Amino acid sequence: MKFIRQVLLAISIGGIVATVLRTRGKSPEAPSQGGWREVTPQR
Amino acid sequence: MSTPTNFDIGIIGSGVVGTRVAAQLHTLGYRPRIAPLRHATDLFDCNVVVLAQGAPHSALAATFVAQGIAVVSVSDNLADVLALLDIQDRALARQVPVIIGAACSPGMTGLLVHHVTRAFESIDEVHVAVHGTGGPQCARQHHESLAGVSIGWHEGEWLQRPAGSGRELCWFPDPVGARDCYRYASPEPVLLQRIAPSLQRITARVSATRRDRLTARLPMLSPPHAEGTLGGLRVEVRGVRNGMRHVEIVGIAERVATITGSVAAQAACALGNGVVPPGVHNLGQAEVPNDDILDGVLDSGTILHQFIGR
Repeated sequence: MKFIRQVLLAISIGGIVATVLRTRGKSPEAPSQGGWREVTPQR
Repeated sequence: MSTPTNFDIGIIGSGVVGTRVAAQLHTLGYRPRIAPLRHATDLFDCNVVVLAQGAPHSALAATFVAQGIAVVSVSDNLADVLALLDIQDRALARQVPVIIGAACSPGMTGLLVHHVTRAFESIDEVHVAVHGTGGPQCARQHHESLAGVSIGWHEGEWLQRPAGSGRELCWFPDPVGARDCYRYASPEPVLLQRIAPSLQRITARVSATRRDRLTARLPMLSPPHAEGTLGGLRVEVRGVRNGMRHVEIVGIAERVATITGSVAAQAACALGNGVVPPGVHNLGQAEVPNDDILDGVLDSGTILHQFIGR
């Protein structure tokens, strides 16, 4: 019973940490300038 | 359109890639013959054979080379491509040209590296990323390549890293956009290093989802789709221009099988026209008419993009 409680506690803490990281972590920033343009190679 | 030279082209495999190769050759005025793998000997009277079935290709390529038949391989399997490179001595002995890795990645990547290199005084880094798959065999290869060992070229040494590691957000031309890409078991670094031995760093990544990475070491849980949706290719080259560090990024948004079909068909035409010397080559090397092949691919409707900005 003690082991099960410890496992549940570990899972809960892991879930809380993951939730915090997900909500507060920075997502990769999109390029702020520029973009793709079509090019025609020189022949 | 000019009249094609008189030579016979055979295609092994009638899947998505095989049919795209055939369609491209029809557009160019050729009448290729398609045979399944079990009837490969039916193509022993051809001048050029395109191996468009699933890997491995090395044993069959060696058989065709022994018959004096030029070979184009679209294999992107690392072990298979290394085995194909070992055909070099037999190809030279039989005076037969072979082009390996004539697909999207590798293949189109080599053409783009060769094309972009002219914007530099010298290049020292190439970073390639690909998104999407062609037919079912390509999807299986994608699945398996995330479970193996990736190789990379770093400061003059080959590095081995677990496939599926090294996440990097890569931006492909619209509408593909940003995708998480990971190391994978790809022959790309080996082939790109043959194009420019002066390169110091070469990496290859493929886009994958969490499910792809989680299930990579398991059998495929569901059968692959008949064909992947719109794919993407991104080639980033770094080097020196006007004495300063410079970066060029080019990309393509297109179905992977369509790119592969165009590249393989143009490579087959180059072999048939006798402009490639005997031996095993990959696209991008100086011995291959890279500009003509790239022009042919772009003439087929593939649109090249360049990233402008930072």
